[in-house]
Amino acid sequence: MDLFKKNKVVNWHEHVWFKPGTRELNVEQCDQLVQYANEVGMDILVCSLPIAGGMPTPEDVKLCNDTVALAMKRHPKVIKGMAFINPGYTREALDEIDRCINELGMIGIKLYNHYFASDPIVRPIIEKCIDLDIPMLWHAGKLTVNPQSQPFLSNGEHFAKVAQAYPEAVILHGHIGGGGDWHWSLKAMADYPNIFTDISGSVHDTSIIETTYKMMGADRMLFATDGSFASGIGKILGANIPEEDKIKILNNPRFERYLERGMK
Amino acid sequence: MIIDVNTYIGHWPFRQVSDSTPEGLVNLMDKSGIDMACVSNINAIFYRNVQDGNEELAQQISSCKEFKDRLIPFAIINPLYPGWKKDFIHCIDDLGMKGLELYPTYHQYNLANENAVELLNMAAERGIPVHLPCAIENIRQRHWMDTKEDITADSVARVLSLCPKTDFIITNGPSPDIANSLMPLSQKRQGKVYYDFSRVDLLFFRFDNFVKSVGADNVVFGSVMPLQYVDTQFAKLHFSKISDEDKEKIMYKNLKELLKI
Repeated sequence: MDLFKKNKVVNWHEHVWFKPGTRELNVEQCDQLVQYANEVGMDILVCSLPIAGGMPTPEDVKLCNDTVALAMKRHPKVIKGMAFINPGYTREALDEIDRCINELGMIGIKLYNHYFASDPIVRPIIEKCIDLDIPMLWHAGKLTVNPQSQPFLSNGEHFAKVAQAYPEAVILHGHIGGGGDWHWSLKAMADYPNIFTDISGSVHDTSIIETTYKMMGADRMLFATDGSFASGIGKILGANIPEEDKIKILNNPRFERYLERGMK
Repeated sequence: MIIDVNTYIGHWPFRQVSDSTPEGLVNLMDKSGIDMACVSNINAIFYRNVQDGNEELAQQISSCKEFKDRLIPFAIINPLYPGWKKDFIHCIDDLGMKGLELYPTYHQYNLANENAVELLNMAAERGIPVHLPCAIENIRQRHWMDTKEDITADSVARVLSLCPKTDFIITNGPSPDIANSLMPLSQKRQGKVYYDFSRVDLLFFRFDNFVKSVGADNVVFGSVMPLQYVDTQFAKLHFSKISDEDKEKIMYKNLKELLKI
């Protein structure tokens, strides 16, 4: 576990949540998350609060982001925010990005499974992110069993289309170990240098890190957990890749500028 | 000391896996400080005649003293295939296998099937524990030719009553949910039910709470090597607040007692 204690660790995919049955920050869970992060040696937690089902309204989205902002205020040295955005409401979504980045100090946006990344409706959002120089973190995966459970879940092929159309966009595939055919997405994304992936998710198949490293390189990999601390830690510790590249993944220098931006 | 209840040798057909030989597995064990491991042959799951896979496993283990000392063979039996009873007895009595391992979702039978129940009761008569891996790979990424089901608490619940003396080891599944569901039945039986924690995370005290809820006497260490990174399991033990005594039970004492080694 020394690797985590001795190096700066940025966890690019975590969440804070509402208290069950309410629309208020689950303060106890948020504090425990930070406490655990501290214990295992994670310095920064990049958090969002997405709504997975249905079609969240602009008001729902604002409430999610205000809740993340509360968590950021509660733990300013540890929690950085990603603004949850529903591209289905274009004008409101663009205003919300402005509000979250410029007023609430968030450092990127989080998109879920309401639309494929390559859906034309997402284009204004992508262009806004390019203008603001912020990354887009996508809930992603290639489900092979019961794919109809998330009919608009983006995978590597969708991101490849976006990357081709917008080579200046910074696209972050969420949780390569989040369930689904990770080989599929890696093969689809490998040739696009503006697509990155975080390593989070509960899946810790041997070779998932080595294959990601081989296909995308450490420069395009970011440490993350998405609720699965042991899996995230175990994958990095167990991977057969050079230690200096593990350190790079734990705090990818190519994403450092976003963290600095959030500190302003 | 550490004994791992869930490891494999053999070819996994759906992705490239390194270290899938006895040599490879023992190397992985050395790297992670695991002393002994219960092992089955993945080939047996996919051969029509599973027994050929068991014979391969026995042959490979018997080829080297270190394998014999450190690898504990488990027999995979398909109770729907002719000769299953003879194969099971041969594996235990002649090949020295220490456990039975079942794959009902791959071999397409219900655990409460008449033959399966007979097999489970035969295992109890011989003092042989039964390992039920709920899955091999995560269900969300299954290859189109792989099974689309996992072993569930419901499928196990029926055989807990039908086979009251059989010891079960349930691994690689949602252990807290399964344990919670089976708890009332488990407590009324003579046979024990053990769980691994390979899919229980450490965050929000999940691992510690799981151990508290089922009791350290019923938890064992299982890694799914060489298909999964073993370091994930060590991270849970490393950051856990459970007592050293409980950790020892989980890491080896429970299995040592169960397998009589």
